[in-house]
Amino acid sequence: MRALWLFPLAVLLLTACEREKREFRPPQMSGETDEEITLSSISAGSSPPTQRTSGKGQEYEDNAYHISQGQKLYHWFNCNGCHANGGGDSGPALMDDRWIYGGSIENIVQTIREGRPNGMPSFRGKIPDDQIWEIAAYVRSMGRYTPKTASPGRRDAMSPGPAEQRRPPAEMHQGGMIPPSAQMPQ
Amino acid sequence: MSDLAAGKDELRDTDLSDAELSARLAKTWGTARGIIGALSTVDHKIIGRRYIFTAIFFLFLGGLAAIVMRLQLARPENQLIGPDLYNQIFTMHGTTMMFLFGVPIGEAFAVYLVPLMVGTRNIAFPRLNAYSYYVYLAGGLMVWFAFMLNTGPDAGWFSYVPLSGPENAPGKRVDFWAQMITFTEVSGLAVAVQVIVTVFKQRAPGMTLDRIPLFVWAELINAFIIVFSLPAVVTASAMLMMDRLVGTHFFNPAEGGDALLYQHLFWFFGHPEVYIIFIPATGWVSAIVVTFSRRQAFGYLPLVLSMISVGFLSFGLWVHHMFTTGLPQLGASFFTASSMLIAIPNGIQIFCWIATLWDGRPVFRTPLLFVIGFFFIFVLGGLSGIMLASVPLDTQVHDTYFVVAHFHYVLIGGNVFPLLGAVYYWFPKFTGRMMSERLGKWNFWLAFVGFNLAFFPMHITGLMGMPRRVYTYQPEMGWSTYNLLSTIGALVLFVSFVVFLYNMIASARRGPLAGDNPWDAGTLEWATASPPPPQNFNRIPFVINREPLWAEREKLPVATGLAVEKRELVVTTISEARADLRESSPEPSIWPLLAAIATTIAFVGSIFTPWAVVWGGLLVAFTLVGWFWPKNNKEDEA
Ligand code: HEM
Ligand SMILES: [Cu+2]
Repeated sequence: MRALWLFPLAVLLLTACEREKREFRPPQMSGETDEEITLSSISAGSSPPTQRTSGKGQEYEDNAYHISQGQKLYHWFNCNGCHANGGGDSGPALMDDRWIYGGSIENIVQTIREGRPNGMPSFRGKIPDDQIWEIAAYVRSMGRYTPKTASPGRRDAMSPGPAEQRRPPAEMHQGGMIPPSAQMPQ
Repeated sequence: MSDLAAGKDELRDTDLSDAELSARLAKTWGTARGIIGALSTVDHKIIGRRYIFTAIFFLFLGGLAAIVMRLQLARPENQLIGPDLYNQIFTMHGTTMMFLFGVPIGEAFAVYLVPLMVGTRNIAFPRLNAYSYYVYLAGGLMVWFAFMLNTGPDAGWFSYVPLSGPENAPGKRVDFWAQMITFTEVSGLAVAVQVIVTVFKQRAPGMTLDRIPLFVWAELINAFIIVFSLPAVVTASAMLMMDRLVGTHFFNPAEGGDALLYQHLFWFFGHPEVYIIFIPATGWVSAIVVTFSRRQAFGYLPLVLSMISVGFLSFGLWVHHMFTTGLPQLGASFFTASSMLIAIPNGIQIFCWIATLWDGRPVFRTPLLFVIGFFFIFVLGGLSGIMLASVPLDTQVHDTYFVVAHFHYVLIGGNVFPLLGAVYYWFPKFTGRMMSERLGKWNFWLAFVGFNLAFFPMHITGLMGMPRRVYTYQPEMGWSTYNLLSTIGALVLFVSFVVFLYNMIASARRGPLAGDNPWDAGTLEWATASPPPPQNFNRIPFVINREPLWAEREKLPVATGLAVEKRELVVTTISEARADLRESSPEPSIWPLLAAIATTIAFVGSIFTPWAVVWGGLLVAFTLVGWFWPKNNKEDEA
């Protein structure tokens, strides 16, 4: 009998902890996380490019609270002004499987922080580091690169489509198109 | 004596001597030994004992959560637990107290005592009874396990949207809360149905409506309140689950849903809920008052009628929880009036009990002490309730500690004090041993002083503006002294519960033997041995008075003619309680446990995927087929 309870316990233990942690008071003035990553898999020589990540990404994209905070911030910082609800507008789509500048959470953090050519502004110094990570985690949940149990449900707003939580998990392709709307006028 | 039916070749209770009859009936109605026997039992006393034990266990868990909160609030800017854990703990405390203790404890006593008090051999639908217990246990353990894994619900015991909705309550925490409601719901409704049928159809012959013990009336009315109110909350929680899990828009105003709808659905259940907690307590109080004042209840009819009218009225006041949501004036005035109205039947009850004591020769043993404590505390809670029913005052103190003070006065005063009294009162029946009077007095006085010290200052902090559900406060607010007093009071209250626990354990082992009727009480549960044998009564009593044991001190008249070798009980007519049929009562079975496990799998699974409802439904259907598979005996064919 007692052993019976251990089974669900073990299962929950594996899934629950990371997903449910809440950090109501992140350090106010945290510095910038420094990730060493590349935008492409091409490198000089036979070995792939060296990358070093802090592991913060994993922590954020498995965590329901961070992702849902990211969802709010995504709208509060007007990301949807250019990317709409992920389907893209003047900026490229975020819910598809194409990533011009790389689709890992570290890549996305860099993209938000540094900005990119053809219209993506830099948010360095405008959004605190933790919140950039949260937004990036949310962006990753749009294509369901994040676990289903941690991805957000529908928002209390008009729904453009099924919530992140109900989308099938996506594959990732490097590269991708710059949308015509974002290209320089010819 | 009356003979129920002339048998043909079956062994009847008329054929045997008392001792022989008792032994054979105990064999027929007994529970098999071993683990399988224990898990298949359908004996209402065994299941009732488990129910009571589990509910009190959850009372202690909820109490521990409360102590942690009080320690956190003892000093301003305390760092004992952070805001996140505090949110989970106050939600777990409220949820546990309301759903895992408050509702089940009343039903638990009904499961144990109602069949005894109406003079029958088992509760109606005994397998459903076993099932309901397992489901309840599973729901409670589920939510506490979730809490231990940092997935405890954190949106308060009523989990309002939008706070608890998909946008603002990420993760699975609130889903566990919503599903815990479903568990409680299933088990609560099952017991309510059993109680109603037991009281309506299985009363001993002669127990006409006006001879039903007040406790049984209370449980009957309570069962009806449960039947009509719980569906509202399960609707609310199911809609919440669907909003969260599959993206429906019940509570999303942007898509035509309505957030206030949730509050209406919840409180349409939530207000009757507080009476689900209180009405069984009126039953305990009535039983204790009558026994210890040595006379029949003063105003039996007004007492019953006031319980019934409380039952009805409780469905007409739910909006007083929503005065600050911007209601039309007329609506608010209506619910102010109806809220104040319910003070009338409650007042009638209090006066009837006092009159009973006044006119009787009260014996101040521990159970009666707790009842006196109940008068004092509950009336105070009622007074602050009348204050809260007026909109201008409520607008000021809504969501402050004034409300916390109010509802603890009515909940602890109206349920926990009578409960402690009831445990002292019926403990000899449950275990065959008396609880210690001396410890009982300590228990009472510590509880009474501790309670008032803990909760009275909350009225003041509330009026000073301290909001509820805050994990800390600043020293400049001037709330520190009152909060420290509250914490000290809570610790004293806690000590009283330690005394209570110790008294129960020690008395169960070494208490003086009780005998059948240690209090010289008048109702039927005292007509049999303590603890009662599996068959409850060797011969079904025949009731000619409201307090049968006081009317017939020498020997109770009985109805005879029931089979001995198989489980058989008497079915009587609803109002006159004339013996009507001999009806067989189900044998033990392991299927209720299996069905409960299947239900648990379906419910817990549906937190993670809606498909669990489909597959889990099939699994439950499979266990139900096993449960109801015809056994080819005579009864099934009839
Ligand atoms: C051991 C004695 C108890 C103590 C010291 C205690 C203390 C508390 C405290 C400190 C809170 C939280 C206030 C806040 O932060 O807003 C609270 C909330 C609550 N308590 Fe108790 N309590 C006790 C027993 C009970 C009992 C027996 C019941 C019901 C039968 C109960 C029902 C509730 C409810 C419904 C809430 C509201 C939870 C919420 O805000 O969601 N409490 N209690
Ligand atoms: Cu109410």
